[in-house]
This record gives sequence, C-alpha cells and structure tokens, in this order.
Amino acid sequence: MTDPGALDRLVQRITMQVRWRRAEYHALRGLFYGAVLAVLLLAVKTPLGFWALPSAGAVVLLGVVGGALWGFFQRVPATDAARLADGAFGLQDRVATALEWAGRPDRPPLVEALLADAIARVDALAPRQIIRRLIPREARWLPIPALLALTLAVSPPLPLPSGRLPDLSAGTETAETRERGDMATMDQDRRQVPKDALKRQAFEERDFNQRGGTGASPTGGDLSAIFKDTSLGNQRPDFNSFLKKGDERLKLLEQVDRLPDLQSDFTQSQYKMVFRKSKALKSGLRPDQISPQKLRELLEEMERLGRKGGSWGNDAAEGLDALEGGQPDKALEAMEKALNKMRAMDEQGRGGKNLRGGRENDSGASRDRRSGSGGGPDEQDFGEGEGLLPGKGKSGSPKGEASQRLRASPYDVGVEGESRKGRKDGYDTNMTGRGGKMGSRLSYLGVIGQYRKMMEDAIAREQVPRDFQGQIKDYFQSLDER
Amino acid sequence: MTQEERVRDFVTAFERLRSEVEKVIVGHRDIINHVLIGMFAGGHVLLEGAPGLGKTLLIKTLAEGLELSFSRVQFTPDLMPADIIGTNIILEDAGGRKHFQFQPGPIFGHILLADEINRATPKTQSALLEGMQEGFVTVGGASRPLPSPFFVLATQNPIEMEGTYPLPEAQLDRFLFKLRVRYPAVEELNAIIDRTTQVRPVTVERVMTGPTVLAFRDLIREVPIASHVRDFASTIVMATHPEWTGAPEVTRRFIRYGASPRGAQALVLGAKVLALSEGRYNVSADDLRTLSAPALRHRVILNFEGEAEAVDVDTLVSEIVDKAQATMVEGKEAFLR
Repeated sequence: MTDPGALDRLVQRITMQVRWRRAEYHALRGLFYGAVLAVLLLAVKTPLGFWALPSAGAVVLLGVVGGALWGFFQRVPATDAARLADGAFGLQDRVATALEWAGRPDRPPLVEALLADAIARVDALAPRQIIRRLIPREARWLPIPALLALTLAVSPPLPLPSGRLPDLSAGTETAETRERGDMATMDQDRRQVPKDALKRQAFEERDFNQRGGTGASPTGGDLSAIFKDTSLGNQRPDFNSFLKKGDERLKLLEQVDRLPDLQSDFTQSQYKMVFRKSKALKSGLRPDQISPQKLRELLEEMERLGRKGGSWGNDAAEGLDALEGGQPDKALEAMEKALNKMRAMDEQGRGGKNLRGGRENDSGASRDRRSGSGGGPDEQDFGEGEGLLPGKGKSGSPKGEASQRLRASPYDVGVEGESRKGRKDGYDTNMTGRGGKMGSRLSYLGVIGQYRKMMEDAIAREQVPRDFQGQIKDYFQSLDER
Repeated sequence: MTQEERVRDFVTAFERLRSEVEKVIVGHRDIINHVLIGMFAGGHVLLEGAPGLGKTLLIKTLAEGLELSFSRVQFTPDLMPADIIGTNIILEDAGGRKHFQFQPGPIFGHILLADEINRATPKTQSALLEGMQEGFVTVGGASRPLPSPFFVLATQNPIEMEGTYPLPEAQLDRFLFKLRVRYPAVEELNAIIDRTTQVRPVTVERVMTGPTVLAFRDLIREVPIASHVRDFASTIVMATHPEWTGAPEVTRRFIRYGASPRGAQALVLGAKVLALSEGRYNVSADDLRTLSAPALRHRVILNFEGEAEAVDVDTLVSEIVDKAQATMVEGKEAFLR
C-alpha cells in the first residue's frame, strides 16, 4: 500500500501554520486585555508605589504570552487541515479524501490510485503560507489603552477619593429644630422651598389654589399638626398625587404606538377593498338588478385572494358556479358567506397588532362597573379605538358585538317609559331594566347629540347610498323632536 | 490491469464516445456530457427543449456510437401500455395446437428513446415506471428482465402544452437528470447549417459495447467520496425541504416539496462519473455543484408563490447550493476564532 507520509507532512505543515496564526490572533487579544488591566493598575499607582509600573508591564506580558499559548495549543483536526490544503492548493478534495480512505479497511482498489495521485501532486507543491492573518476586533481599540497606560505611567498619581461619605447630619438637625419651633412659621417655611423647575405651570397654579384656602396661619382644622412628629409631617399636603394620575393619562396619549391606527388599517387591507366593492355593487339593488359581469369580477377577485391563504375560496368558487348556472341570488349568498369569512380573518389579523389596548382596557372597566366599583358615566372614555362604537374594535361584526356594547356603555341601556313632565331642557329618562340599576342619569339631549354626530361621521365614512342618507337623517330628526 | 489503466480506459472511451456524438451534434457540449454521465451512472435522462434543437438526433447518434440495441417510441395520446411493454399473442404450432407467446415490446432494448413522452396518457407513461426503476417488467403475471444496460432517454417539449399529460412526480423522480436543451449560439447555428445542408456523409463509429458499459459502471461505484463532500450532498438535498430546520429562506418561500433521497443518489453517482471522466479518483464538492441543477431541477416542486412569481428552478437550486456551502464552511473551516 502506498505510504501517505507526504500527505501527513502536508497536513502537519498546514496545522503548524494554523497554530501560529491562532497564536498571533490570541496574543493580540491578550495584549489588548493586558493593556486594559495595566491602565487600571496605573490609575491606582499611589497605594502600589514603586510596583505599579512593573506590575502593569507584567500584566501586559502575561496577556500576550497567555493568549499566544492558548491559541497555539488549541486543537486542529487533521481533516480540517487537509480541507484547507485542498482549498488553498486547488487539489479538489484529493488530500482529505485520500487521508480519510487510506485508513479504512473497506477501501476499494481505486483508493490506491487516489493516494498515489494525491502524493504526486503534493510533492510537486511549493511550500507556502496558505492561512491568512486575521486581526481580532480588539486590536482596533488597542491604541486607546496603550496611550492611556503610557500617559498614566509618566504622569503623577491620580488623587483618590477619601472614601468618606458627605455628612448630612447637620442639615437634618436644623430641619428638626425648625420643626420643633413655632408652628406659625411652619407653613411659611414650606412656601420657601425652591420650586421644582420641571413642574408645570398649570400644576403650580392648581397647587396654589388648593392651598390658598388654608390661609397663612394654622387653623383649628389643619391636619399637618397631626403628623407633626411623624415622617409625614415633612410632606406637603398637596394634591399632586391626583394630578399625577392625569399626567400619566396624558403620557399615554403621547405613546402613539399604543393607539390603534385605524386609518392605515382600513385603507391598506385588500379585503377591505373587496368589502367596499361588494357594497358598491349591491347598493340597494335587488339580486336580479345586479350586473352579473361585475359580480363575476368580484367573485373572481375573492377567489384569487382565497387561493393566497384564505378559507373563503370555496365559497367564492361556489358563487361563480351559481352565477354560471344563472342563479344570481345563490351567487350573492355565497359572496356574503365569503365576505363574512374574509371579514373575520381581517378582524383577527387587526386584533393581533393595532387595536391592542382599546377593548382590553374597556373590558377591565366593564368588570369594574359590574362589580359596582366603577365610577359614573363621567369616567367613560369614548375616544378612538375604544372598541365599543360601530365599525371599531375587534368584533367580527362591522358594528361590533351588540351585547358587548350594551354591557359596556351606559348610553346603550334600554330606555323605556315616557318622558316625565316638567322641564324639557335636561329631562331624565325613566330608566328601567339595566340602566336603572346603574344609578346614572344622562341628559337625553346630550346623548342624542352625540349619536347624531356619530351618525353623520358614519354616513360620510361608510358610503351609505344617497337615498338612505335622507332616511337616516329623518330618523334622527324624529328622535330629536321627542 | 492497474487501477490507473482502468481509469485511463474509461477516460478514453468517454472522450471517444463524446467525439463521435459531436460529429453529428453541434454545440450542446454540456448536454452531451450529462447524457453520457447519466448513462454511465446507470440512470435515465429526460431532455426538455423546443422542437428542432436536436434532442432526438443526439440520442440516435449516441445509440449509433454504442453496440447496443436501440428502439424508439413516439408517444401519442392513443399509445397503449402494451405498445411499449409487449403482449401475448396466440400462435398455432404444426400440430394445430394453440398457445400464447410473448411478443416483447420496444422496452426490451438497451436504449429506449421515448420521444415526446408527455404526449402519452399517464397510464402509458406509467408502463415505463417498473422497467426504469427495477429493470423488470411484468406482463401477464410473469416478470421479465430487461436487457442490461437499460437506458431510457426521454424527450419532452415545454411549449405546446395543449393535449399533453405532464409527467407525475413519481415518474420524474425516476429520471437521474433532467436536461434543458437551449438554443444554439450563432457560431453553432452556422456550423449546423454547414453540416446539414451540404453533401458530407458522417459515419458514427461504434466505440463501446454493452459489457464495457457495465464494467465502467462497476468502476464508477468504486470512486471514493470524502465524508465532508458526502455531507455537502446531503445538505444540498435537505436544504430543498422547506420544513428542514436549516433550510434557507428561498426554500421556505418558494418550495412546496424538496428532492427525494434519489436526488442525493443522483448527485453523488453523477459526481463520481464526472470526476472519473476528468481522470480524477475522488469526488469533489465542485462536482456536486456542477450537477446540482440537472439532478435536482425536476425533483423540486414549487409552491403557489413560486409558480406565481415564475421562479426559475435552476436559479433557486443554485442559491440553495450557495447557502449549503456557506453553512458547511462556517461550521468546519472558521479556524481563527
């Protein structure tokens, strides 16, 4: 059998090259970390005295030598070295294959020829360095600790902190003395506390107004006297804690990411476009009045969308079949089914991202209301993304879940009975049922005004047919005249 | 005979056969190489190309260069399985007694040219399945061996898809390579015109016999492959599977099903023939790279997005091979860390 000695020698040569390159690499890293340690040692050279400089030098040397040794003695698998040789000398995996198969007992006769061929090619090679030098990341930052170390070595020792903490006892005693002094001066002293530069003017004013009623002198009802000998005695009885809550709400409004982006959600969804098309197509027409061509185009569009991963493709296909069979009413039914599936999927997709925080917060509020701990209607927030109003929130229905809306909104209580006699400008409703238990009384005119505004917004947004717009307005007008 | 001489014989025979084919076929050097590689690897080859590019002529010329029986079947929609496999016919002997005798079909030849294979019905196409994979056909309950070497060269036309039956994946997988015959360059077209429009008789010599082909097939299987090269082949094939954890992004995006283990076999066997045809005694990673497209392009099935975006499978395979190679290098050769 051919002796693969030449191949072994090549692999050993490559292994040594790898070792030296690794030693260089890790020595540079060691130099960097040694230099950093040296800087630290030189920074505290006062206690070290004469030994600071030699120990810094020793640390640098230790880093270099330690790194080089670590790199040099790391394991280099022979197969990897053979592959490197094959790649560098263009040997097309001859060396790696020959070395691997030479030691196998089941080697076919062709391996002999392979060994001879590989050895002949390796013998013809001129030895050269094939492993490129790699500079570690740390080497780029080496000049910084090196310069620092040099500067610290030639400069006088840095003054070290004494280690004593500042004595704050005198100030405390003064405050205590003042506390035990005349109570009449206590409030004046409080007013002399420097104002917080970050405190907003509006808060300052409110603070001032709240405290204005107490007067400059202590009264019989001044609660600060109760806390005189406690830690609370030092605190000012202000209302900033109440204001803070309002401030946090304002901050929440500044977190744009938490607000639902309904506009982009609506316009960017291709499913919404299909909804719009379907609405435009139907727009108050009977099934026999709808253009079959337009219906077919819409169904084809829906089927195409369904093929991309929706579950409504079959419905759309059924609709197309029904249309082909001259049954536009069945086609419309199938289209409605497909639309419902698309809508559900779209709403599901929106619920995962943009509408977080709307309904979730509300559900918490609803729980509070149900448990009786919630506040009155004044605490309700009907801003954008609340999820209770038609066309908002995560409901599968375009108008939201009716039961959810009724439970969640005090404006959706069942209003029954007749208006009571008396003043007409702010008359309460006779609330029976759910609304009656809530203990809230709403101004009918205020509520109807809010709903009328929502109606006008909805008409502008939802493409309501012109004929229906008049009807809707008339309806609200009739409510107003009540 | 030493191993070096055996290999030298193979290289010489390979070169001679190729030069005989090139007497007739102008250009298409890669196609001729890959057809020969497929034949020596013991696989079957599917040639795809527009009409008039010389697919059928190439196969006929190859058959002329080999001392092997050759049969050609023009696939049509009304072709029946019995037209390929053969059938039992009733014969009457001298005594007036009737008996069945098997009349072998064209499949019982060494080289079978299945011309325009996608024009036959799936039933007829599947008549080739058993023969291509097992080397046997079953007729009337009796299993009959096909002659060895048995080599199917099929052609199909990627255009004029009306009235055709695309080959099912199971049958496509049985082809070692799928080769795409492209239009010739201008110089090659000029040579074709000169060669085919003048009186210049071309005689193709027979340079190889069946037993020689079989002996070379044995030699090819002896070619050693290093474990890291074999790993590379496995990684390439696995990287075509979108559900594999190491699959690259392009695979997950555009591929529905990846290549089968036959794909890995085709890669390695083809690479062995390629290495030996170049006088090399071992398989290299470059051989796998060269043969990745012919061996995998018909085994990779695009998903809807891939089809919709008209993704070129060859480009996709090339990207997958690049990613697989990068993964291998990252894992094994990053010494200086």
